[in-house]
Amino acid sequence: MANPTKAPAYSLSVKEKFKLSRFLVQWEMILVYILILINLVLMTTKSNLYFTPGTIQSIIQSGMDLSPLVLGMIFVLMVGDIDVSVAATMITASMVTGLTMDAGIPSILCVVLGILAGGICGAFNGFLVAYMKMPSVIVTISTSMLFRGIVKIVLDVNVLKNFPKFYVNLAWMNIAGIPIALLLFLVMAAGFIVILHKSTFGRKLYIIGNNSTCATYSGINVERTKLTVFIIMGLMAGITSMFFVGRMGGGVSSTMGTGYELDAIAICVLGGISTNGGKGKLYGPVIATLIMAFLNYTLGLMGVDANSRKIMIGFILIIAVLIPSINKQLFDNIKLYFVYAGNKNIEALNVKAAEEVKALSNLINETKKDIALNEADKAEKLKKYNDKINFIKARTKEQTQRLKAEMKNDRAKASKVSRS
Amino acid sequence: MKNEKKSLLKSILNGRNTGLLIAFAVLLIIAAIITPSMYSISSFMNMFQNNAVYMMLAVGMMLVIITGGIDLSVASTLGLSGVICSSLMSKNPEVPAIVWVLLGILVGALCGAFNGFIVGYLKMVPMIATLGTMYIFRGFAFLASGGEWWFPHQFTEGYVKFATGKILGVYNILWITIILFILFGIFLGYTAPGRRIYAIGTNKESAKVAGIKEPQITFMAFTICGALAGLAGMLYTANYAICYYGMGDGYEMIAIAICILGGVSITGGKGSIDGVIIGALMMSVITYFISLLPGLSVWQSAIQGAIIIIAVLINIFTGLSAKKRVLKERGALI
Repeated sequence: MANPTKAPAYSLSVKEKFKLSRFLVQWEMILVYILILINLVLMTTKSNLYFTPGTIQSIIQSGMDLSPLVLGMIFVLMVGDIDVSVAATMITASMVTGLTMDAGIPSILCVVLGILAGGICGAFNGFLVAYMKMPSVIVTISTSMLFRGIVKIVLDVNVLKNFPKFYVNLAWMNIAGIPIALLLFLVMAAGFIVILHKSTFGRKLYIIGNNSTCATYSGINVERTKLTVFIIMGLMAGITSMFFVGRMGGGVSSTMGTGYELDAIAICVLGGISTNGGKGKLYGPVIATLIMAFLNYTLGLMGVDANSRKIMIGFILIIAVLIPSINKQLFDNIKLYFVYAGNKNIEALNVKAAEEVKALSNLINETKKDIALNEADKAEKLKKYNDKINFIKARTKEQTQRLKAEMKNDRAKASKVSRS
Repeated sequence: MKNEKKSLLKSILNGRNTGLLIAFAVLLIIAAIITPSMYSISSFMNMFQNNAVYMMLAVGMMLVIITGGIDLSVASTLGLSGVICSSLMSKNPEVPAIVWVLLGILVGALCGAFNGFIVGYLKMVPMIATLGTMYIFRGFAFLASGGEWWFPHQFTEGYVKFATGKILGVYNILWITIILFILFGIFLGYTAPGRRIYAIGTNKESAKVAGIKEPQITFMAFTICGALAGLAGMLYTANYAICYYGMGDGYEMIAIAICILGGVSITGGKGSIDGVIIGALMMSVITYFISLLPGLSVWQSAIQGAIIIIAVLINIFTGLSAKKRVLKERGALI
């Protein structure tokens, strides 16, 4: 912490000293450990496969097809909303690209049009959420039906096959041993990190997520910011369509990609983004994307079928959300429930007594160390303190018993009243 | 006296369900003009038979939404209970159907209790908790089925008849739905636990202060929702005489849609069984109507999505106007 007396009055930034112990136990680092652990498991069990050139690349590529969705979803979750229409948006964008390609428009224009289509879908969501004040869950559930419905109407049972050639390269090629998809993902993630952690726009997202009323009164245009966030989400869904179509080998039908939205949300939550909004860092989900890819691949190699993997992803999701709630409060609650019979008076009594005892034992230590006193005085004082401690302990015990008996009486009375 | 009369008339005119009923009537008239073949008792019966499962899910979903939560795992619960019931039924064909019904309810209640535990006692966000259990239950459904499908010839007659048999010319599955509607109407309107569900959804803090045990009620709502989904799963397999692990995928969205159409507020605390009944009727008529139009069956999901958006918008605007009206009556300056 900066010294408050020396810091200039206008500086509001709080610079914390870098602490290695704190750095090593933060959530992002735990994710890194998990990633390393999975790698070690894979390395030891399937060592010949692991060290074959190309394996790691293909593992990473397998997880990259939804990576841009994750980045967009972080912003949406950050402002306290949720978007479950991203898979449908993605398919809509792919459809627009495919249809414009069929019409004979230059391929680079088609790609841009596809991404723009995603942006328009996002803007529609954002308009309804931000300006019409509709709950984002409902809006995006219904727009996911709407967008996918539109794709179904246009495509019916046809499959679009005409896509830009570089889509497939994007998903399957490597540059100097590094997958192109990973490179692009990291570049995008760097951009998002700058936006979220180093720009005013990013700080606005945190404020809105923590308290949107407060954000309004601080002069932030909440509506416009939310709309921007949803448009970014839509554009990212459009970009995802490039990876996705390439991954699928350049064919799109109306039923593809269902469930991607849930995978993206799961990765964000695993990465430490709070679904209540306003909490989390961007590094977490980036690592979580890789974890998910490695986990899926490892479990697949170990002969765990796709549906059992679903169970594991579900449990991981729940456990990842529950881990932050394991704190002092939880242990206090458990103690309250089991030791103090759920009675807060008893808890307060015992806590107070414990504090007094602690203070007294501190005094005892001090007297023991005190060289100014002679032995007789010391013994007398110690005896006095010890007597006091014993008295407090006995009194607390008696009072606890009395409170417990009172509680029992109250319960008996209450049950009598309810029976009669 | 005069005042009361006026308020009665006003409440009918301004009631939440009046708009819904008018929309429903308009829809029926349009359907009558375009597809008169829809208007026969047998086609209506088929329509309701096909939609009974949605209605059951919607009733459970309503309870959860009123507490301020949401349950995305009902479709997976439906799949799990359906798979367990039909797999055991095909191995033990001599057991009476009622056992499988109870088993389905039990399986569903266990799933719901798990949801209720992590939402109510561990304070997880309902959306994320049930998103996770949605994966988990669907995975368990696959493990229980082993990837197997069950076809009509594997179903015993008693099992199938439990849903498709007729009493007084009405399918059993419809009778069950009607009984559920009545039961939950009484439960929500006239019993203490039912009223507590509303109290929690309206304001958690004040409910706590009033002495309501919030975790318990949330747990109860999720368990009931799961139990209804379990029952729906068993009845689904009995109704269509087919079962596989992926059945009912996406039904949670339709259940939520019915609730929203029926005026259940997604922020909790508002909603009633009559609204849900009208919402369910509307949803089934719309789906059936679209399926009757030639070449329009692909439009179904797009139209459903659009309808939900419009319904929520109408809900929000009527809510705003109601607020303004209340303020006006109190003489507040607007």
